[in-house]
Amino acid sequence: MLSSMRSRRSWTSASIVLLALCGIAACSRPAPTLTDAKAASKPVSQFTGVWIPTGSFEDPAGPAPWQNTPWPEHPPFTQWGAAESKRLDDHSSFRACTPTGPVFFMWEIGLFPIQIVQAPDQLIILRETNGIPRRIYTDGRAHPEDLEPTWMGHSVGHWEDGVLVVDTIGLNGKARALNGVGANAQVSSEDAKPRMPSSDALHLVERFKLVANDELLEDEITINDAKAYTQPVVLKHYFQRRPDIDMLEYNCNDYPRDDTVASDSAKGRT
Amino acid sequence: MNTLTTSMLAALALSLSMSSSAHHSFAVFDRTKTVVLTGIVKEFQWANPHAWIQVNVPDARGRITEWGVECGSPNMMVRTGWKKNLLKPGDKVVVTVNPLRDGHPNGALITIKLADGTVLGPGNTPKLLPLGAVTTK
Repeated sequence: MLSSMRSRRSWTSASIVLLALCGIAACSRPAPTLTDAKAASKPVSQFTGVWIPTGSFEDPAGPAPWQNTPWPEHPPFTQWGAAESKRLDDHSSFRACTPTGPVFFMWEIGLFPIQIVQAPDQLIILRETNGIPRRIYTDGRAHPEDLEPTWMGHSVGHWEDGVLVVDTIGLNGKARALNGVGANAQVSSEDAKPRMPSSDALHLVERFKLVANDELLEDEITINDAKAYTQPVVLKHYFQRRPDIDMLEYNCNDYPRDDTVASDSAKGRT
Repeated sequence: MNTLTTSMLAALALSLSMSSSAHHSFAVFDRTKTVVLTGIVKEFQWANPHAWIQVNVPDARGRITEWGVECGSPNMMVRTGWKKNLLKPGDKVVVTVNPLRDGHPNGALITIKLADGTVLGPGNTPKLLPLGAVTTK
């Protein structure tokens, strides 16, 4: 009884304080919300889950008909892009602990799974060997005007008939090649292709959608980078939904040996 | 003579040290060559970024060379049957590697055959399932 009275009294006090603070006219208007933006960006596809890229070292394209786009034999390089590609082609540029950017993050080779967590206001993509997630805001916000460059950049997404359209800018241009760890670093026909560099001008547009009876996720990636390429590069990567696979832990610098491939970066010399 | 020998050994040790501390990618391994090592496990280093097996390998005269064998990362390896206690010091193994191009006794693991006949690789991609095999609804 006493506690009930105290409760009523405190509610009344709180109401008076609230009215005094904001004024009746102001409080009668709805508070600003992102409701409209959220409604316009309502998710209509379910991407949550663990996914494995469909390519392998032996077969980078993966099974037909949903095949990963081969990387170009002759990319439309600018002068800077060609020089940067050559630099990345030197295996000494390889650092195992250097983060991937958002393109290599979505690698078509299925060595490591990714996990997508789809929340009402954002979509988070984790990659087993990456400490930094991709975070795609779907709450209607725009890119900030003054972005600090980062490894993954800033991503915003909106829905178009079941397709999540994602726009990414704000990259720091320091990530590994877009198409992998380094020339001849792995056994794949794709390793013989030119390394695909990127700069801080990288601007990605991706279209994520479910295909093959929702068993595959298609990521159509349009790579715009005027410093590195004279025209956009467009490719598709596919991922198989795998509820039977758990994400495991990876920490790049557990035990770096002097003669391991990751030695320099693991010791913080990158 | 002793001084000269000591100096030569010191120079060799320095040379090996400098060589082994140079960072490298898997490109340092010669993918066109394979070496089969029959030996005894000295140590199994189950760690990121890559696991390593140290193997003592005797030659025809009984001289021992210690080889370092670089594997994949533990998360890759467990998906193909590896466990952290799969190898113990003293285990007899047959290891096939791509050797270093520079001739030092290190190699990238291709396969390892255990005493019980089990054959494992360095870790690989999980096999894709045929479409229709995964329940999504």
